[in-house]
Amino acid sequence: MDTLLSGQMLFAALVSGSLYALVALGLNLVYGTLRLLNIAHGDLVMIGAYTAFWMISLFAVPPIISLVVAAALCALLGWAVYVGLFRRMLAKPELAKRVEANSLILFYGISVILQNLAALAFTSTSRGYQYLDTVITWQGVSMTGNRLLTLGIAAAICFGTILFLRFHLFGWGLRAVIQRREAAQVVGVNLNRVQLLTICGGFAVAGVAGVLVSMTEQITPFMGFPFTIVAFVVIIIGGLGNIGAGVLAGFCLGLVETYGIALTSPGYRSILIYGLFVGVLLIRPEGIFTKAVRS
Amino acid sequence: MTTPLLSVSGLRASYGPVQVLFDVDFQVAKGSVTTLIGANGAGKTTIMKSLAGLVAPTDGEIRFEGRDITQVPSHDRVNSGLCLIPEGRLVFPGMSVEQNLRLGAIAPAARAGHNQMLAEVFDRFPRLRERRSQLAGLMSGGEQQMLALGRGLMARPHLILMDEPTLGLAPVMVKQVFETIVELRDAGFTILLAEQNAKVALELADRAYLLENGRVALSGPGAELLASPDVRRAYLGM
Ligand SMILES: Nc1ncnc2c1ncn2[C@@H]1O[C@H](COP(=O)(O)OP(=O)(O)O)[C@@H](O)[C@H]1O
Ligand SMILES: [Mg+2]
Repeated sequence: MDTLLSGQMLFAALVSGSLYALVALGLNLVYGTLRLLNIAHGDLVMIGAYTAFWMISLFAVPPIISLVVAAALCALLGWAVYVGLFRRMLAKPELAKRVEANSLILFYGISVILQNLAALAFTSTSRGYQYLDTVITWQGVSMTGNRLLTLGIAAAICFGTILFLRFHLFGWGLRAVIQRREAAQVVGVNLNRVQLLTICGGFAVAGVAGVLVSMTEQITPFMGFPFTIVAFVVIIIGGLGNIGAGVLAGFCLGLVETYGIALTSPGYRSILIYGLFVGVLLIRPEGIFTKAVRS
Repeated sequence: MTTPLLSVSGLRASYGPVQVLFDVDFQVAKGSVTTLIGANGAGKTTIMKSLAGLVAPTDGEIRFEGRDITQVPSHDRVNSGLCLIPEGRLVFPGMSVEQNLRLGAIAPAARAGHNQMLAEVFDRFPRLRERRSQLAGLMSGGEQQMLALGRGLMARPHLILMDEPTLGLAPVMVKQVFETIVELRDAGFTILLAEQNAKVALELADRAYLLENGRVALSGPGAELLASPDVRRAYLGM
Protein backbone atom coordinates (compact mmCIF):
# COMPACT_ATOMS: atom_id res chain seq x y z
CA MET A 1 0.00 0.00 0.00
CA ASP A 2 2.85 2.35 0.86
CA THR A 3 4.41 1.96 -2.58
CA LEU A 4 1.04 2.58 -4.20
CA LEU A 5 0.69 5.96 -2.55
CA SER A 6 4.30 6.93 -3.09
CA GLY A 7 5.36 9.78 -5.31
CA GLN A 8 7.69 7.27 -6.91
CA MET A 9 4.78 5.35 -8.36
CA LEU A 10 3.01 8.46 -9.53
CA PHE A 11 6.15 9.67 -11.25
CA ALA A 12 6.55 6.36 -13.09
CA ALA A 13 2.90 6.50 -14.18
CA LEU A 14 3.23 10.07 -15.42
CA VAL A 15 6.38 9.29 -17.40
CA SER A 16 4.85 6.38 -19.26
CA GLY A 17 1.53 8.23 -19.57
CA SER A 18 3.21 11.23 -21.16
CA LEU A 19 4.96 8.98 -23.66
CA TYR A 20 1.74 7.20 -24.55
CA ALA A 21 0.01 10.54 -24.97
CA LEU A 22 2.81 11.77 -27.21
CA VAL A 23 2.88 8.69 -29.43
CA ALA A 24 -0.90 8.69 -29.72
CA LEU A 25 -0.98 12.43 -30.47
CA GLY A 26 0.71 12.00 -33.84
CA LEU A 27 -1.44 9.04 -34.80
CA ASN A 28 -4.58 10.89 -33.83
CA LEU A 29 -3.67 14.04 -35.77
CA VAL A 30 -2.93 12.04 -38.89
CA TYR A 31 -6.09 10.00 -38.55
CA GLY A 32 -8.21 13.05 -37.80
CA THR A 33 -7.12 15.17 -40.74
CA LEU A 34 -6.25 12.56 -43.36
CA ARG A 35 -8.38 9.62 -42.22
CA LEU A 36 -5.34 7.42 -42.61
CA LEU A 37 -4.90 4.63 -40.11
CA ASN A 38 -1.14 4.61 -39.84
CA ILE A 39 -0.26 1.19 -38.54
CA ALA A 40 3.40 2.07 -39.18
CA HIS A 41 3.23 4.85 -36.60
CA GLY A 42 5.21 2.88 -34.01
CA ASP A 43 7.96 2.28 -36.55
CA LEU A 44 8.54 6.03 -36.63
CA VAL A 45 9.24 5.72 -32.91
CA MET A 46 11.79 3.05 -33.82
CA ILE A 47 13.38 5.35 -36.41
CA GLY A 48 13.60 8.13 -33.83
CA ALA A 49 15.20 5.75 -31.35
CA TYR A 50 17.86 4.57 -33.81
CA THR A 51 18.53 8.16 -34.82
CA ALA A 52 19.34 9.02 -31.23
CA PHE A 53 21.41 5.87 -30.79
CA TRP A 54 23.59 6.40 -33.86
CA MET A 55 23.94 10.10 -33.26
CA ILE A 56 25.33 9.54 -29.79
CA SER A 57 27.38 6.43 -30.69
CA LEU A 58 28.97 7.72 -33.86
CA PHE A 59 29.09 11.48 -33.38
CA ALA A 60 28.67 11.87 -29.63
CA VAL A 61 25.65 14.06 -30.30
CA PRO A 62 23.40 14.11 -27.21
CA PRO A 63 19.73 13.06 -27.54
CA ILE A 64 18.57 16.55 -26.73
CA ILE A 65 19.94 17.58 -30.13
CA SER A 66 18.89 14.32 -31.80
CA LEU A 67 15.32 15.30 -30.95
CA VAL A 68 15.50 17.91 -33.67
CA VAL A 69 17.25 15.58 -36.10
CA ALA A 70 14.71 12.78 -35.58
CA ALA A 71 11.82 15.21 -35.88
CA ALA A 72 13.19 16.52 -39.16
CA LEU A 73 13.85 13.03 -40.48
CA CYS A 74 10.35 11.80 -39.68
CA ALA A 75 8.77 14.99 -40.97
CA LEU A 76 10.61 14.35 -44.24
CA LEU A 77 9.17 10.84 -44.31
CA GLY A 78 5.72 12.32 -43.76
CA TRP A 79 6.27 14.69 -46.64
CA ALA A 80 7.39 11.79 -48.86
CA VAL A 81 4.36 9.69 -47.97
CA TYR A 82 2.02 12.60 -48.57
CA VAL A 83 3.46 13.85 -51.82
CA GLY A 84 4.43 10.46 -53.15
CA LEU A 85 1.38 8.45 -52.21
CA PHE A 86 -1.59 10.44 -51.11
CA ARG A 87 -1.81 13.92 -52.53
CA ARG A 88 -3.13 12.96 -55.92
CA MET A 89 -5.43 10.32 -54.54
CA LEU A 90 -6.83 12.49 -51.75
CA ALA A 91 -7.63 15.21 -54.25
CA LYS A 92 -10.16 12.92 -55.95
CA PRO A 93 -13.04 11.92 -53.66
CA GLU A 94 -13.67 8.60 -55.41
CA LEU A 95 -10.05 7.58 -54.96
CA ALA A 96 -9.84 9.04 -51.48
CA LYS A 97 -12.49 6.62 -50.27
CA ARG A 98 -10.42 3.69 -51.45
CA VAL A 99 -7.23 5.06 -49.95
CA GLU A 100 -8.90 5.43 -46.58
CA ALA A 101 -10.17 1.88 -46.65
CA ASN A 102 -6.81 0.59 -47.80
CA SER A 103 -4.59 2.72 -45.59
CA LEU A 104 -4.44 0.09 -42.88
CA ILE A 105 -3.10 -2.55 -45.26
CA LEU A 106 -0.86 -0.08 -47.06
CA PHE A 107 0.74 1.12 -43.85
CA TYR A 108 1.04 -2.45 -42.66
CA GLY A 109 3.18 -3.04 -45.73
CA ILE A 110 5.21 0.09 -45.04
CA SER A 111 5.64 -1.08 -41.44
CA VAL A 112 6.99 -4.48 -42.45
CA ILE A 113 9.36 -2.86 -44.93
CA LEU A 114 10.65 -0.37 -42.35
CA GLN A 115 11.21 -3.08 -39.75
CA ASN A 116 13.05 -5.32 -42.14
CA LEU A 117 15.15 -2.50 -43.53
CA ALA A 118 16.12 -1.61 -39.98
CA ALA A 119 16.93 -5.26 -39.23
CA LEU A 120 19.09 -5.49 -42.37
CA ALA A 121 20.90 -2.25 -41.72
CA PHE A 122 21.32 -2.44 -37.97
CA THR A 123 20.84 -6.20 -37.24
CA SER A 124 18.28 -7.23 -34.68
CA THR A 125 20.75 -6.90 -31.77
CA SER A 126 19.18 -4.69 -29.17
CA ARG A 127 21.00 -1.45 -28.59
CA GLY A 128 21.14 1.06 -25.81
CA TYR A 129 23.17 3.92 -24.43
CA GLN A 130 23.47 5.88 -21.26
CA TYR A 131 22.36 9.46 -20.99
CA LEU A 132 21.38 11.54 -17.98
CA ASP A 133 20.91 8.46 -15.82
CA THR A 134 22.04 10.01 -12.58
CA VAL A 135 19.37 9.93 -9.94
CA ILE A 136 17.89 13.14 -8.66
CA THR A 137 15.96 12.96 -5.40
CA TRP A 138 13.27 15.49 -4.69
CA GLN A 139 10.73 15.25 -1.85
CA GLY A 140 11.71 11.62 -1.36
CA VAL A 141 11.05 10.75 -5.00
CA SER A 142 14.04 9.41 -6.91
CA MET A 143 14.01 10.33 -10.56
CA THR A 144 16.57 9.80 -13.28
CA GLY A 145 17.35 12.83 -15.39
CA ASN A 146 16.34 11.10 -18.61
CA ARG A 147 12.89 10.24 -17.24
CA LEU A 148 12.38 13.79 -16.05
CA LEU A 149 13.38 15.01 -19.49
CA THR A 150 10.96 12.56 -21.09
CA LEU A 151 8.09 13.75 -18.95
CA GLY A 152 8.96 17.40 -19.49
CA ILE A 153 9.30 17.25 -23.26
CA ALA A 154 6.40 14.89 -23.90
CA ALA A 155 4.04 16.90 -21.71
CA ALA A 156 5.20 20.19 -23.22
CA ILE A 157 4.55 18.97 -26.77
CA CYS A 158 1.15 17.52 -25.89
CA PHE A 159 -0.10 20.58 -24.07
CA GLY A 160 1.54 22.92 -26.53
CA THR A 161 -0.38 21.21 -29.32
CA ILE A 162 -3.63 21.48 -27.41
CA LEU A 163 -3.08 25.20 -26.84
CA PHE A 164 -2.18 25.67 -30.49
CA LEU A 165 -5.38 23.95 -31.59
CA ARG A 166 -7.38 26.07 -29.19
CA PHE A 167 -5.95 29.48 -29.83
CA HIS A 168 -4.20 29.65 -33.19
CA LEU A 169 -6.13 30.25 -36.38
CA PHE A 170 -4.28 27.46 -38.16
CA GLY A 171 -5.19 25.20 -35.24
CA TRP A 172 -8.84 26.10 -35.73
CA GLY A 173 -8.55 25.25 -39.39
CA LEU A 174 -7.04 21.91 -38.44
CA ARG A 175 -9.89 21.18 -36.04
CA ALA A 176 -12.35 22.19 -38.73
CA VAL A 177 -10.79 19.63 -41.06
CA ILE A 178 -11.04 16.97 -38.36
CA GLN A 179 -14.68 17.72 -37.63
CA ARG A 180 -15.93 18.19 -41.19
CA ARG A 181 -13.48 18.11 -44.02
CA GLU A 182 -15.92 19.38 -46.63
CA ALA A 183 -17.17 22.21 -44.43
CA ALA A 184 -13.57 23.22 -43.78
CA GLN A 185 -13.06 23.55 -47.53
CA VAL A 186 -16.29 25.50 -47.77
CA VAL A 187 -15.05 28.16 -45.34
CA GLY A 188 -11.74 28.39 -47.17
CA VAL A 189 -9.34 26.23 -45.19
CA ASN A 190 -6.40 25.21 -47.37
CA LEU A 191 -6.92 21.47 -47.04
CA ASN A 192 -3.74 20.52 -48.82
CA ARG A 193 -1.60 22.62 -46.53
CA VAL A 194 -3.34 21.47 -43.36
CA GLN A 195 -2.96 17.83 -44.34
CA LEU A 196 0.68 18.17 -45.35
CA LEU A 197 1.68 20.02 -42.19
CA THR A 198 -0.29 17.57 -40.06
CA ILE A 199 1.31 14.47 -41.52
CA CYS A 200 4.78 16.06 -41.19
CA GLY A 201 4.01 17.18 -37.64
CA GLY A 202 2.40 13.88 -36.65
CA PHE A 203 5.36 11.90 -37.96
CA ALA A 204 7.85 14.29 -36.35
CA VAL A 205 6.22 13.89 -32.96
CA ALA A 206 6.54 10.11 -33.25
CA GLY A 207 10.24 10.55 -34.03
CA VAL A 208 10.64 12.75 -30.95
CA ALA A 209 8.91 10.08 -28.86
CA GLY A 210 11.42 7.56 -30.21
CA VAL A 211 14.36 9.66 -29.05
CA LEU A 212 12.81 9.93 -25.58
CA VAL A 213 12.15 6.19 -25.41
CA SER A 214 15.70 5.38 -26.49
CA MET A 215 17.11 7.10 -23.41
CA THR A 216 15.58 4.49 -21.11
CA GLU A 217 14.71 1.43 -23.18
CA GLN A 218 16.35 -1.10 -25.47
CA ILE A 219 16.30 -0.27 -29.18
CA THR A 220 15.43 -2.99 -31.71
CA PRO A 221 13.98 -2.98 -35.23
CA PHE A 222 10.75 -4.38 -33.84
CA MET A 223 10.26 -2.08 -30.87
CA GLY A 224 7.67 -0.01 -32.74
CA PHE A 225 4.72 -2.35 -32.87
CA PRO A 226 3.82 -2.21 -29.17
CA PHE A 227 3.76 1.58 -29.48
CA THR A 228 1.38 1.35 -32.43
CA ILE A 229 -0.93 -0.80 -30.33
CA VAL A 230 -0.74 1.49 -27.33
CA ALA A 231 -1.40 4.51 -29.54
CA PHE A 232 -4.48 2.87 -31.04
CA VAL A 233 -5.74 1.93 -27.57
CA VAL A 234 -5.25 5.51 -26.41
CA ILE A 235 -7.09 7.12 -29.30
CA ILE A 236 -9.92 4.63 -29.09
CA ILE A 237 -10.30 5.49 -25.40
CA GLY A 238 -10.13 9.21 -26.10
CA GLY A 239 -12.20 9.12 -29.28
CA LEU A 240 -10.75 9.02 -32.80
CA GLY A 241 -9.75 12.46 -33.99
CA ASN A 242 -10.35 14.00 -30.57
CA ILE A 243 -6.92 15.46 -29.83
CA GLY A 244 -7.29 16.80 -26.28
CA ALA A 245 -9.15 13.71 -25.09
CA GLY A 246 -6.43 11.56 -26.63
CA VAL A 247 -3.78 13.27 -24.51
CA LEU A 248 -5.88 12.76 -21.39
CA ALA A 249 -6.41 9.13 -22.34
CA GLY A 250 -2.65 8.65 -22.79
CA PHE A 251 -2.00 9.77 -19.24
CA CYS A 252 -4.89 7.62 -18.00
CA LEU A 253 -3.45 4.56 -19.69
CA GLY A 254 -0.09 5.23 -18.03
CA LEU A 255 -1.81 5.41 -14.65
CA VAL A 256 -3.91 2.28 -15.22
CA GLU A 257 -0.91 0.35 -16.45
CA THR A 258 1.49 1.37 -13.69
CA TYR A 259 -0.96 0.96 -10.83
CA GLY A 260 -2.53 -2.11 -12.39
CA ILE A 261 0.80 -3.87 -12.60
CA ALA A 262 1.67 -2.81 -9.05
CA LEU A 263 -1.56 -4.33 -7.80
CA THR A 264 -1.17 -7.53 -9.84
CA SER A 265 2.06 -8.45 -11.62
CA PRO A 266 3.89 -7.45 -14.81
CA GLY A 267 2.39 -10.50 -16.52
CA TYR A 268 -0.93 -8.68 -16.53
CA ARG A 269 0.32 -5.72 -18.56
CA SER A 270 -1.12 -6.83 -21.89
CA ILE A 271 -4.32 -8.04 -20.31
CA LEU A 272 -4.82 -4.64 -18.68
CA ILE A 273 -4.19 -2.67 -21.85
CA TYR A 274 -6.20 -4.88 -24.19
CA GLY A 275 -8.90 -5.32 -21.57
CA LEU A 276 -9.35 -1.57 -21.34
CA PHE A 277 -9.41 -1.38 -25.14
CA VAL A 278 -12.07 -4.06 -25.55
CA GLY A 279 -14.05 -2.70 -22.62
CA VAL A 280 -14.17 0.81 -24.05
CA LEU A 281 -15.09 -0.48 -27.50
CA LEU A 282 -17.96 -2.46 -26.04
CA ILE A 283 -19.29 0.11 -23.62
CA ARG A 284 -18.52 3.45 -25.28
CA PRO A 285 -17.21 3.00 -28.84
CA GLU A 286 -17.17 6.76 -29.48
CA GLY A 287 -14.56 7.20 -26.72
CA ILE A 288 -14.83 7.91 -23.02
CA PHE A 289 -14.22 11.65 -23.16
CA THR A 290 -16.24 12.46 -26.26
CA LYS A 291 -19.14 14.84 -25.85
CA ALA A 292 -22.30 13.90 -27.69
CA VAL A 293 -23.25 16.52 -30.26
CA ARG A 294 -25.72 16.48 -33.09
CA SER A 295 -24.10 16.83 -36.49
CA MET B 1 -24.58 44.08 -71.64
CA THR B 2 -21.97 43.95 -68.93
CA THR B 3 -20.19 40.64 -68.33
CA PRO B 4 -21.96 38.50 -65.75
CA LEU B 5 -20.45 37.99 -62.31
CA LEU B 6 -20.52 34.25 -62.83
CA SER B 7 -20.66 32.45 -66.11
CA VAL B 8 -20.79 28.70 -66.52
CA SER B 9 -20.48 27.05 -69.89
CA GLY B 10 -20.52 23.46 -71.06
CA LEU B 11 -20.24 22.14 -67.51
CA ARG B 12 -20.07 18.36 -67.20
CA ALA B 13 -19.50 16.33 -64.05
CA SER B 14 -19.51 12.67 -63.11
CA TYR B 15 -19.41 10.52 -60.01
CA GLY B 16 -17.23 7.64 -61.07
CA PRO B 17 -18.64 6.28 -64.32
CA VAL B 18 -22.00 8.02 -63.87
CA GLN B 19 -22.31 11.37 -65.62
CA VAL B 20 -24.72 13.69 -63.79
CA LEU B 21 -24.22 17.07 -65.50
CA PHE B 22 -24.52 17.48 -69.26
CA ASP B 23 -23.30 20.73 -70.80
CA VAL B 24 -24.85 23.05 -68.28
CA ASP B 25 -24.79 26.75 -69.20
CA PHE B 26 -25.95 29.63 -67.05
CA GLN B 27 -25.03 33.10 -65.86
CA VAL B 28 -25.47 35.12 -62.72
CA ALA B 29 -25.68 38.89 -63.09
CA LYS B 30 -24.22 41.10 -60.39
CA GLY B 31 -26.80 42.20 -57.85
CA SER B 32 -29.36 39.61 -58.91
CA VAL B 33 -30.99 36.59 -57.38
CA THR B 34 -30.67 33.64 -59.72
CA THR B 35 -32.29 30.34 -58.88
CA LEU B 36 -31.73 26.78 -59.95
CA ILE B 37 -34.84 24.69 -59.53
CA GLY B 38 -35.33 21.04 -60.19
CA ALA B 39 -36.40 17.80 -58.60
CA ASN B 40 -34.33 15.83 -56.14
CA GLY B 41 -31.37 14.34 -58.03
CA ALA B 42 -31.52 16.84 -60.89
CA GLY B 43 -27.96 17.96 -60.25
CA LYS B 44 -28.31 21.19 -58.25
CA THR B 45 -25.88 20.19 -55.51
CA THR B 46 -23.37 18.91 -58.04
CA ILE B 47 -23.44 22.30 -59.76
CA MET B 48 -22.97 24.09 -56.45
CA LYS B 49 -20.08 21.84 -55.48
CA SER B 50 -18.46 22.33 -58.87
CA LEU B 51 -18.69 26.07 -58.36
CA ALA B 52 -17.16 25.81 -54.89
CA GLY B 53 -14.38 23.51 -56.07
CA LEU B 54 -15.56 20.46 -54.14
CA VAL B 55 -16.34 18.46 -57.27
CA ALA B 56 -13.96 18.53 -60.22
CA PRO B 57 -15.87 18.99 -63.49
CA THR B 58 -14.90 16.69 -66.32
CA ASP B 59 -15.45 19.45 -68.87
CA GLY B 60 -16.59 23.02 -69.21
CA GLU B 61 -15.60 26.39 -67.87
CA ILE B 62 -16.47 28.43 -64.80
CA ARG B 63 -15.68 32.15 -64.98
CA PHE B 64 -16.02 34.29 -61.90
CA GLU B 65 -15.45 38.05 -62.10
CA GLY B 66 -13.95 37.51 -65.54
CA ARG B 67 -11.42 34.93 -64.33
CA ASP B 68 -11.39 31.26 -65.32
CA ILE B 69 -11.56 29.46 -61.97
CA THR B 70 -12.31 25.95 -63.23
CA GLN B 71 -9.02 24.59 -61.85
CA VAL B 72 -8.68 26.88 -58.84
CA PRO B 73 -8.66 25.08 -55.44
CA SER B 74 -11.61 25.67 -53.13
CA HIS B 75 -9.84 27.88 -50.59
CA ASP B 76 -8.73 30.27 -53.33
CA ARG B 77 -12.30 30.53 -54.55
CA VAL B 78 -13.48 31.50 -51.08
CA ASN B 79 -10.67 34.00 -50.88
CA SER B 80 -11.75 35.59 -54.14
CA GLY B 81 -15.31 36.04 -52.88
CA LEU B 82 -17.20 32.92 -53.90
CA CYS B 83 -18.91 31.40 -50.92
CA LEU B 84 -21.06 28.29 -50.58
CA ILE B 85 -23.71 27.78 -47.91
CA PRO B 86 -23.78 24.01 -48.34
CA GLU B 87 -26.75 21.68 -48.41
CA GLY B 88 -27.31 20.24 -44.95
CA ARG B 89 -25.69 23.40 -43.45
CA LEU B 90 -22.47 21.60 -42.42
CA VAL B 91 -21.72 23.67 -39.35
CA PHE B 92 -18.85 22.50 -37.14
CA PRO B 93 -20.82 20.64 -34.49
CA GLY B 94 -18.13 20.51 -31.81
CA MET B 95 -17.37 24.23 -31.92
CA SER B 96 -19.23 27.19 -30.50
CA VAL B 97 -21.40 29.47 -32.59
CA GLU B 98 -18.80 32.20 -32.37
CA GLN B 99 -15.97 29.86 -33.41
CA ASN B 100 -18.02 28.71 -36.38
CA LEU B 101 -18.49 32.33 -37.41
CA ARG B 102 -14.85 33.24 -36.93
CA LEU B 103 -13.85 30.23 -39.01
CA GLY B 104 -15.98 31.72 -41.75
CA ALA B 105 -13.42 34.52 -41.97
CA ILE B 106 -10.38 32.24 -42.19
CA ALA B 107 -9.68 33.24 -45.80
CA PRO B 108 -6.91 35.86 -45.82
CA ALA B 109 -9.09 38.34 -47.69
CA ALA B 110 -11.73 38.19 -44.95
CA ARG B 111 -9.44 38.30 -41.92
CA ALA B 112 -8.95 42.04 -41.74
CA GLY B 113 -11.94 43.60 -40.03
CA HIS B 114 -13.57 40.32 -39.15
CA ASN B 115 -14.56 41.59 -35.71
CA GLN B 116 -16.70 44.24 -37.33
CA MET B 117 -18.16 41.64 -39.67
CA LEU B 118 -18.97 39.46 -36.65
CA ALA B 119 -20.90 42.35 -35.12
CA GLU B 120 -22.81 42.82 -38.39
CA VAL B 121 -23.71 39.13 -38.52
CA PHE B 122 -24.87 39.25 -34.90
CA ASP B 123 -27.03 42.29 -35.73
CA ARG B 124 -28.55 40.45 -38.66
CA PHE B 125 -29.13 37.28 -36.62
CA PRO B 126 -29.67 38.29 -32.97
CA ARG B 127 -30.35 34.67 -32.12
CA LEU B 128 -26.73 33.85 -32.92
CA ARG B 129 -25.53 36.55 -30.54
CA GLU B 130 -27.66 35.08 -27.75
CA ARG B 131 -26.15 31.67 -28.37
CA ARG B 132 -22.64 32.69 -29.24
CA SER B 133 -20.96 30.30 -26.80
CA GLN B 134 -23.25 27.34 -27.37
CA LEU B 135 -22.00 24.32 -29.32
CA ALA B 136 -23.29 24.48 -32.88
CA GLY B 137 -24.18 20.79 -32.84
CA LEU B 138 -26.70 21.40 -30.07
CA MET B 139 -28.77 23.93 -32.03
CA SER B 140 -31.99 23.33 -33.96
CA GLY B 141 -31.99 22.91 -37.74
CA GLY B 142 -33.23 26.44 -38.31
CA GLU B 143 -30.61 27.93 -36.01
CA GLN B 144 -27.92 25.90 -37.74
CA GLN B 145 -29.11 27.29 -41.07
CA MET B 146 -28.79 30.84 -39.71
CA LEU B 147 -25.33 29.94 -38.48
CA ALA B 148 -24.32 28.53 -41.85
CA LEU B 149 -25.56 31.73 -43.50
CA GLY B 150 -23.75 33.91 -40.98
CA ARG B 151 -20.58 31.88 -41.42
CA GLY B 152 -20.82 32.43 -45.16
CA LEU B 153 -21.28 36.18 -44.74
CA MET B 154 -18.13 36.31 -42.60
CA ALA B 155 -16.16 35.56 -45.78
CA ARG B 156 -17.40 38.86 -47.29
CA PRO B 157 -18.67 37.08 -50.41
CA HIS B 158 -19.21 38.74 -53.77
CA LEU B 159 -21.44 35.83 -54.68
CA ILE B 160 -23.36 33.67 -52.22
CA LEU B 161 -24.21 30.15 -53.33
CA MET B 162 -27.09 28.73 -51.30
CA ASP B 163 -27.83 25.08 -51.71
CA GLU B 164 -31.33 24.23 -50.49
CA PRO B 165 -31.26 26.43 -47.40
CA THR B 166 -34.81 25.45 -46.47
CA LEU B 167 -34.31 21.69 -46.65
CA GLY B 168 -35.82 19.95 -43.66
CA LEU B 169 -36.91 23.14 -41.89
CA ALA B 170 -40.24 23.83 -40.22
CA PRO B 171 -42.54 26.14 -42.25
CA VAL B 172 -41.97 29.11 -39.97
CA MET B 173 -38.21 28.74 -40.43
CA VAL B 174 -38.62 28.35 -44.19
CA LYS B 175 -40.38 31.70 -44.26
CA GLN B 176 -37.64 33.29 -42.20
CA VAL B 177 -34.91 31.95 -44.49
CA PHE B 178 -36.65 33.42 -47.55
CA GLU B 179 -37.04 36.75 -45.75
CA THR B 180 -33.34 36.71 -45.04
CA ILE B 181 -32.60 36.08 -48.71
CA VAL B 182 -34.70 39.10 -49.67
CA GLU B 183 -32.90 41.22 -47.07
CA LEU B 184 -29.54 40.12 -48.39
CA ARG B 185 -30.56 40.91 -51.95
CA ASP B 186 -31.79 44.34 -50.89
CA ALA B 187 -28.46 44.87 -49.16
CA GLY B 188 -26.77 44.37 -52.52
CA PHE B 189 -25.60 40.77 -52.31
CA THR B 190 -25.60 38.60 -55.42
CA ILE B 191 -27.18 35.21 -54.77
CA LEU B 192 -27.39 31.91 -56.58
CA LEU B 193 -30.06 29.81 -54.93
CA ALA B 194 -30.78 26.14 -55.49
CA GLU B 195 -34.26 25.13 -54.33
CA GLN B 196 -36.82 22.40 -54.60
CA ASN B 197 -39.36 24.82 -53.20
CA ALA B 198 -40.04 26.11 -56.72
CA LYS B 199 -42.82 28.58 -56.11
CA VAL B 200 -41.13 30.85 -53.59
CA ALA B 201 -37.79 30.48 -55.34
CA LEU B 202 -39.26 31.58 -58.66
CA GLU B 203 -41.07 34.52 -57.09
CA LEU B 204 -37.75 35.73 -55.77
CA ALA B 205 -35.75 35.09 -58.89
CA ASP B 206 -34.58 37.72 -61.31
CA ARG B 207 -33.57 34.84 -63.49
CA ALA B 208 -34.23 31.12 -63.12
CA TYR B 209 -33.00 27.88 -64.60
CA LEU B 210 -34.94 24.65 -64.52
CA LEU B 211 -32.75 21.57 -64.30
CA GLU B 212 -33.86 18.14 -65.42
CA ASN B 213 -31.57 15.12 -65.24
CA GLY B 214 -28.45 17.23 -65.28
CA ARG B 215 -29.51 19.49 -68.15
CA VAL B 216 -30.93 22.98 -68.28
CA ALA B 217 -34.45 22.32 -69.55
CA LEU B 218 -35.80 25.86 -69.37
CA SER B 219 -34.54 29.29 -68.44
CA GLY B 220 -35.84 32.82 -68.24
CA PRO B 221 -36.98 35.49 -65.80
CA GLY B 222 -38.48 33.98 -62.65
CA ALA B 223 -41.94 35.33 -63.46
CA GLU B 224 -41.80 33.75 -66.90
CA LEU B 225 -41.03 30.29 -65.53
CA LEU B 226 -43.66 30.76 -62.91
CA ALA B 227 -46.19 31.31 -65.69
CA SER B 228 -45.02 28.42 -67.83
CA PRO B 229 -47.62 25.64 -68.07
CA ASP B 230 -44.91 22.94 -67.96
CA VAL B 231 -43.40 24.31 -64.77
CA ARG B 232 -46.81 24.81 -63.20
CA ARG B 233 -47.80 21.24 -63.91
CA ALA B 234 -44.55 19.48 -62.98
CA TYR B 235 -43.22 21.60 -60.13
CA LEU B 236 -46.03 23.66 -58.70
CA GLY B 237 -48.73 21.00 -58.78
CA MET B 238 -51.21 23.17 -60.65
N1 LIG C 1 -21.43 11.43 -53.98
C1 LIG C 1 -22.17 10.91 -54.98
N2 LIG C 1 -21.82 9.74 -55.53
C2 LIG C 1 -22.53 9.23 -56.55
N3 LIG C 1 -23.61 9.79 -57.10
C3 LIG C 1 -24.01 10.97 -56.58
C4 LIG C 1 -23.31 11.59 -55.51
N4 LIG C 1 -23.94 12.75 -55.19
C5 LIG C 1 -24.98 12.83 -56.05
N5 LIG C 1 -25.03 11.78 -56.88
C6 LIG C 1 -26.01 11.57 -57.95
O1 LIG C 1 -25.92 12.65 -58.85
C7 LIG C 1 -27.19 13.07 -59.25
C8 LIG C 1 -27.36 14.54 -58.95
O2 LIG C 1 -27.40 14.70 -57.54
P1 LIG C 1 -27.41 16.11 -56.84
O3 LIG C 1 -26.45 17.00 -57.51
O4 LIG C 1 -27.23 15.88 -55.39
O5 LIG C 1 -28.90 16.59 -57.14
P2 LIG C 1 -29.84 17.60 -56.37
O6 LIG C 1 -28.99 18.46 -55.51
O7 LIG C 1 -30.52 18.36 -57.45
O8 LIG C 1 -30.80 16.80 -55.57
C9 LIG C 1 -28.19 12.16 -58.57
O9 LIG C 1 -28.56 11.15 -59.48
C10 LIG C 1 -27.42 11.59 -57.43
O10 LIG C 1 -27.86 10.29 -57.13
MG1 LIG D 1 -29.14 18.80 -53.52
